[in-house]
Amino acid sequence: MNDHKKSRAGGNFLQILRIREFGAIVGIAIFFVIFSVISDRFVTIDNLTTTFTMASELGIIAIGVTMLMISGEFDLSVGAAFAVGPMIFAIMINNGVNEFLAIAVALALGAGIGFANGVITIRTGIPSFITTLGMMMFWRGILLAVTGGFPIMLQRNIPLLKYLGGRVAGGLRYSALWFIVLAFVFWIILERTRYGNWNFATGGNIGASKALGIPTTRVKLVNFMICSALAVFAGLTTFARFKIVDPTLGQEMELEAIASAVMGGTLLTGGYGSIFGAFIGALMISMVRNGLVLAGAPAYWYRAFIGVILIIAAVINARIRKKVAG
Amino acid sequence: MSEEIVAMRDIKKSFGRVQALKGVDFRVKKNEIVGLLGDNGAGKSTLIKILVGYYQPDHGEIFFDGKKVKFRSPWDSRRLGIETVYQDLALVNLMPLWRNFFLGREMIKKIGPINYIEHRKMKRIAIEALKQVGISLRSPDETVAFMSGGERQAVAIARAIHFGAKLLILDEPTAALSVGETKMVLEHILKAKERGISVIFITHNIYHVYEVADRLVLLEHGEKIGDYRKKDVTPKEVMDIIAAAAGVK
Repeated sequence: MNDHKKSRAGGNFLQILRIREFGAIVGIAIFFVIFSVISDRFVTIDNLTTTFTMASELGIIAIGVTMLMISGEFDLSVGAAFAVGPMIFAIMINNGVNEFLAIAVALALGAGIGFANGVITIRTGIPSFITTLGMMMFWRGILLAVTGGFPIMLQRNIPLLKYLGGRVAGGLRYSALWFIVLAFVFWIILERTRYGNWNFATGGNIGASKALGIPTTRVKLVNFMICSALAVFAGLTTFARFKIVDPTLGQEMELEAIASAVMGGTLLTGGYGSIFGAFIGALMISMVRNGLVLAGAPAYWYRAFIGVILIIAAVINARIRKKVAG
Repeated sequence: MSEEIVAMRDIKKSFGRVQALKGVDFRVKKNEIVGLLGDNGAGKSTLIKILVGYYQPDHGEIFFDGKKVKFRSPWDSRRLGIETVYQDLALVNLMPLWRNFFLGREMIKKIGPINYIEHRKMKRIAIEALKQVGISLRSPDETVAFMSGGERQAVAIARAIHFGAKLLILDEPTAALSVGETKMVLEHILKAKERGISVIFITHNIYHVYEVADRLVLLEHGEKIGDYRKKDVTPKEVMDIIAAAAGVK
């Protein structure tokens, strides 16, 4: 227990390390400096706003994924939900359905996918990794079956879409504003509400939570629903930008969302994490993609690079966490 | 009316073909420390989990503070003042102390649909409550993972006292502790009693509970095999009874 003495001596330093997003903040700052040195086009309003907008569609998914991961579960089907939402929306619009109704149905379908993920996982006790992997395959199959492999195009002009993914100014789109709002809302929910407290507890020690009367099943179920609904919402913002939905839209997005969460300090095994961290994680992924392009690196390098960053980030975050949280 | 805080009558419980409890009567008087003893698998934990509402009994009735109760979940029993400190299930290691202290009992302010937690107040009260029972901690933001086993038990007991528990249930509170820490935890238990709280102390080690208990209840194979006032038995006799019932010669 000599940790006690250490923690007293280095109190201030520990207080800084206790900021769960510490690693991510330092990381993104480093990349920011590197890319601004490499390319003088990097630090321009236009490029930064574009980078941020690109981060938003991933980041909105990452918010839900982070909530769910903190409660100790996992969702591999968010990429599929990301495509299914806009597909349903597009089909309904093309068949003359009111756009508000279409959005509501798409979001409800998202929540429904999450509900199914949650109920199957909790009732049967199989790992959510498997449940959601199956769910991902199922919806990918449905997407291909319904579209025949061809993209679905929007056949009507829907002004409402402007407020999902249209331009605000320069490279900044409404999706970026939604990202900020949603990140803030879920940050409050996680850090400053009773639900957030229960979320950490459920993932941290489910036995203790149950013994203390925390409704862990409900917490997980709600998280699954939030996660899928946010994925659908993110898909709709992307759709608002392209007005077209490809059945392969959002493939591997589930992995990037998990990567964002992990870079932001969230623990794969639950009980620890941060919405603000995921926010920065998504931003970091987008920034690296953008920075490498500007640096003239071939596009293929981006994935390799993200892979390396992910591992390094996970290692550093684990080290810091051992110091402050055990 | 009653001077009993808990009365469990003829409790039976089976899991599949295993009969964990075969009609157990169990009582705790107000302001009494009861040691619940038995070997592993004797049914101690099952009995307690039925008392707090984690399991439902197949048969039998439970009275708490003179009223017949049917707890559907630990939440129900906690609300009436039964606080349980499980061996590994008391605290969430990765969470800061203040969040742990108020877990399930957060101080909230309703802002529209949001149950906003009053974190500053919670941090202050957590530290104060711990100070009152003689534990001074460095920071409410420190995670529980850094605390020693004794400190964790103390935090859990302080939490129970703070929230006005009438009955405190301790599941093997001293099992993994050093001698010094065990002594500290026993002192906390006596302090809880001074405040008028009844205590059920579950253990399979008679020597840990003998010092503080008023009464000793012995379980074996799902049956009650003994119920003694402490002054009527010695630790050695208790050990022999348990060993004999468990079939050890």
